Amino acid sequence: MSNFFTPKRMILLAVMILAGIILGRLAVRAVLNLMLGGTLFGGNFL
Amino acid sequence: MSKAKKGRKTGLFILLCIGVFLASFIGSAIFKLAWQDPRMKKYSVTWSEDIGTVYTDLSYGNGSANKFDLYLPADQGKESYGLVVYLHAGGFTTGDKSEDARMLQWLCSKGYVAAGINYTLFSEENPNTNVYTQSMEIKQSIPFVIEEAENYGYHIDRMAMAGGSAGGCLALLYAYRDASEAPVPVKMVFEGVGPSSFYPEDWKSYGFDQNPEAAAQLFSVMSGKTITAQMFGTDDYDEIMKDISPLLWVDENTVPTVMAYGAYDKFQPYEGSIRLDAALTAHKVPHEYIVFPHSGHGLQNDNEQGIEYYEKILAYLNRYMETAE
Repeated sequence: MSNFFTPKRMILLAVMILAGIILGRLAVRAVLNLMLGGTLFGGNFL
Repeated sequence: MSKAKKGRKTGLFILLCIGVFLASFIGSAIFKLAWQDPRMKKYSVTWSEDIGTVYTDLSYGNGSANKFDLYLPADQGKESYGLVVYLHAGGFTTGDKSEDARMLQWLCSKGYVAAGINYTLFSEENPNTNVYTQSMEIKQSIPFVIEEAENYGYHIDRMAMAGGSAGGCLALLYAYRDASEAPVPVKMVFEGVGPSSFYPEDWKSYGFDQNPEAAAQLFSVMSGKTITAQMFGTDDYDEIMKDISPLLWVDENTVPTVMAYGAYDKFQPYEGSIRLDAALTAHKVPHEYIVFPHSGHGLQNDNEQGIEYYEKILAYLNRYMETAE
């Protein structure tokens, strides 16, 4: 197992989680903005 | 480790990365949709008998949509009460008073008699309905709402109008155009993202600045009158559209106003709100103009301004609605 989760892979997984979180929030904001209008950044956090 | 085994592990890790990414993406999206800013909890209540009683679908006319909900505060000990009417959104074509239950409950919790009023929506079944007829239904409803409150033992001696989007427009129309004929004094109005004027150069998101014929078509339907592109920019146009344009009723007697607009609104023009703010300022009408600088029609990206809007509503209610004077 320790061979599988090398430090490099752990970092990569952390980056994937962070990217997922950020893009998930941005996607919701983008879809709402598409319907209602609004900016992608500024105001509420993401 | 053999190459095949190494390849399998790499493939497995790639799958894991994709899975983790998707799980985070979906989880984050759900969290963003579901999470409410804890500071906004202050502006809603958990409804119970301790707060008030609601009577729904009371009738004010013969139309199937001529119904209102009445929220009566638990404290029946006052000599008189202020009525706050909140009108629902929906582009004049959809919506229902039940969608504003949270707002109405909150207003009731502040000691006001609150009412949500339905109006006939524009549809294939009701093709002759327009903003003017809807505003006249609201005007017709107010005496019934007040009478019903009186029947339950709540004497109304002052009122405020309020609403969102289409409801905001209708609230402004009653407060600005019809207040002189109201059964009790209209003390103030608060609304969000309600259209207040119909100049094609403002309605850019509909392309009306480039296509006045399309503007004429929509505004004809909304007003119930025949509008042509040639009318735009003339004094006659203002006169024709006055019936559904709150902006054109602003004068020195206009009631205090709290209004909220999104700078990137796609449904109704932000530029219209700039005109309204200018008119209220020019006539020295007390008002608060809260711009949500990153938001559209849903006022969805600026919680700070959302809090400011609610605080101004409270401040104005406390200042103008505490007594009939």
